[in-house]
Amino acid sequence: MTTPTRRGSATLGRILAMAGKEVLHIRRDIRTLYLALAMPVLMLVLFGFGISFDVDHLELAVVDQDRTDLSRALVRQVTASGEFVAIEDGTSPEAALQQLRRGHAAGVLLLPHGFAEDVQRGTAQVQLLVDGADGNTATQALAKAQALVEVASRQLLGAGAPVQAPPLEVRVRTLFNPDARSAMFLVPGLAAYLLAIVAVIITALTVAREWERGSMEQLFATPVGRLEIVVGKLLPYLGIGVLQVLLVLTVGAWVFDVPVRGSLVALGLGALLFLVGMLGQGLLISVVTRNQMVATQVATISSVLPSMLLSGFIFPIENLPLPLKVISTVIPARYFVSTLRGVLLRGNGLDVLWPQLLALALFAVFVLVLATRRFQRRLD
Amino acid sequence: MSPAIEVRHLTRRFGDFVAVDDVSFDVGVGEIFGYLGANGAGKSTTIRMLCGLLTPSSGGARVAGFDVGSEPERVKAGIGYMSQKFSLYLDLSVRANLEFFASAYGAQGRTLSTRIAEMVERMGLGAVEDAVTGSLPGGLQQRVALASAVLHRPRIVFLDEPTAGVDPVQRRTFWALIRDLAAQGTTVFVTTHYMDEAENCARIGIMVDGKLVALDTPTGLKRTHAPGRVLEVRGPRLSVALDALKGTPGVLDVSRFGAGATVRVDPERMAPEALAAWLRARGVDPLEMEESAPTLDDVFLALTARAQRGDD
Repeated sequence: MTTPTRRGSATLGRILAMAGKEVLHIRRDIRTLYLALAMPVLMLVLFGFGISFDVDHLELAVVDQDRTDLSRALVRQVTASGEFVAIEDGTSPEAALQQLRRGHAAGVLLLPHGFAEDVQRGTAQVQLLVDGADGNTATQALAKAQALVEVASRQLLGAGAPVQAPPLEVRVRTLFNPDARSAMFLVPGLAAYLLAIVAVIITALTVAREWERGSMEQLFATPVGRLEIVVGKLLPYLGIGVLQVLLVLTVGAWVFDVPVRGSLVALGLGALLFLVGMLGQGLLISVVTRNQMVATQVATISSVLPSMLLSGFIFPIENLPLPLKVISTVIPARYFVSTLRGVLLRGNGLDVLWPQLLALALFAVFVLVLATRRFQRRLD
Repeated sequence: MSPAIEVRHLTRRFGDFVAVDDVSFDVGVGEIFGYLGANGAGKSTTIRMLCGLLTPSSGGARVAGFDVGSEPERVKAGIGYMSQKFSLYLDLSVRANLEFFASAYGAQGRTLSTRIAEMVERMGLGAVEDAVTGSLPGGLQQRVALASAVLHRPRIVFLDEPTAGVDPVQRRTFWALIRDLAAQGTTVFVTTHYMDEAENCARIGIMVDGKLVALDTPTGLKRTHAPGRVLEVRGPRLSVALDALKGTPGVLDVSRFGAGATVRVDPERMAPEALAAWLRARGVDPLEMEESAPTLDDVFLALTARAQRGDD
């Protein structure tokens, strides 16, 4: 008969009523929307420009004790690429070390007396001192300087000495992100991080608000079902989340040249599943706490920390200690970050990314089922 | 016709605390039923069980023909509920609130707009339709809440302390609206702790500590629980005589207020003149003595005093 369709349309009507009401709440408190949309862009720009893991324009205190054409040529070679900038020239090793200690220089390049003669003999040595206090910079600086000096000395040798057998050539090539630009890593990680925060916190807040104000009791007295309440309440925030994803990707592409090389379907699906999971997490928190203050705190801790530390956003999962590595397997941000990196940088599609998407889907279903079950439409 | 609400041995425990203790009563179709009691007497717990929001611990009730324990969803569809805090969305406009609650009960399209228009007209909300609900005074918010509870034309409406914190003029307007609803056949179940309001009810149940201790019409309650005549006595040095007055034959009840006292007497055994003489004999000159009919206040005080003494 017509009952199922009529019931279906009634359900749809009630879901839309919930969603419409939520949109009105958002419009009344437009700051929420500004926050939700402006924060990701602001943070992306800040992180993208300000927090850079790239080694570029490293200040190098150069101590050229040899002062020959050859030594000067080497310094020119090292600084030519722009990765290193010479800030001191010709001072004593002690003064250069002082620069390093005070943090004015990131490294010291020392060319000893008799460098040019040693080059002719084939026993030349240069010394590179780097600041190990900043481990990331030190490692990268060391690798780069080594490569540069190697190339430079080979060229210098070629110019000043008889050609010898070509030395073993070591080349490090960074795939997918050939310039090793941080923005490439950051945009996917940041997208997951921001979506997680905004989705979890906003949902936790809005649902807890209804408990606090007593309007939840009023809702329970109406025929609106709990799934209708849940879906209706989450829909508008899902919309905001999708907007955020698009915004972050656009800014990423526009400002940081982050490409989209892979499947848009995988990207969309991943974003949607991740968002639903995050909204579900927020819902679960508010259902359990029923209090805006507590909900905000739990939401912040449970979204910020894992999506920042255990998602591969900042620290590679492979480098995590075993217990954290195990925990990270239930953090949806981890799967979303690798989905995003897969699609954006590696050009992957569904064929490669389906395990990630499956994990996201599992989390979303799990958390929504749990939240809906805990969300009893009774007061006892 | 079967009653709109049938309550049988309804009981609700929270741990060791019995909030509602073996309560039974019926409410007829179109009746205004008042549910009176002090805070914590079990009024809201009863209403929540009748609305399908709380499961009874034992006993049960049928509301609008459905069992509240096993068919709460069917009960919900047939009733309107206005909870204690008017649970409107204060950041939304009056119209948005009405639209939301109308569609929550399944009204759509033309039905929705005609019902809202009709309700706005009936509740006198035309001037504030677009105002933000939170900016309205309590009396108007309360009318918006009533409107959203009856928009879907329920056969029964439950109002939990609807007039708390509302000024007397607005309260009177509100009760006119309630009588209006009842006149059209809606059953009204209302809790309050304003005794003067309770006079509007066809019948009143009085709750003390989870038990229904009395159930009758206002007149019947007064006849049974506050018989006699009530004399308001004022005068200097009145207080010294009051304790002695309490045990005197023919004096049913003595309660103090401000500079005077209310004395309820059995006119057969202690006429007003006799009371004046009695007081003068003890050196108290009653400057003023005014006679009035017993009110529900007297009923309520008598019942709670009896419950506190522990007799039945």
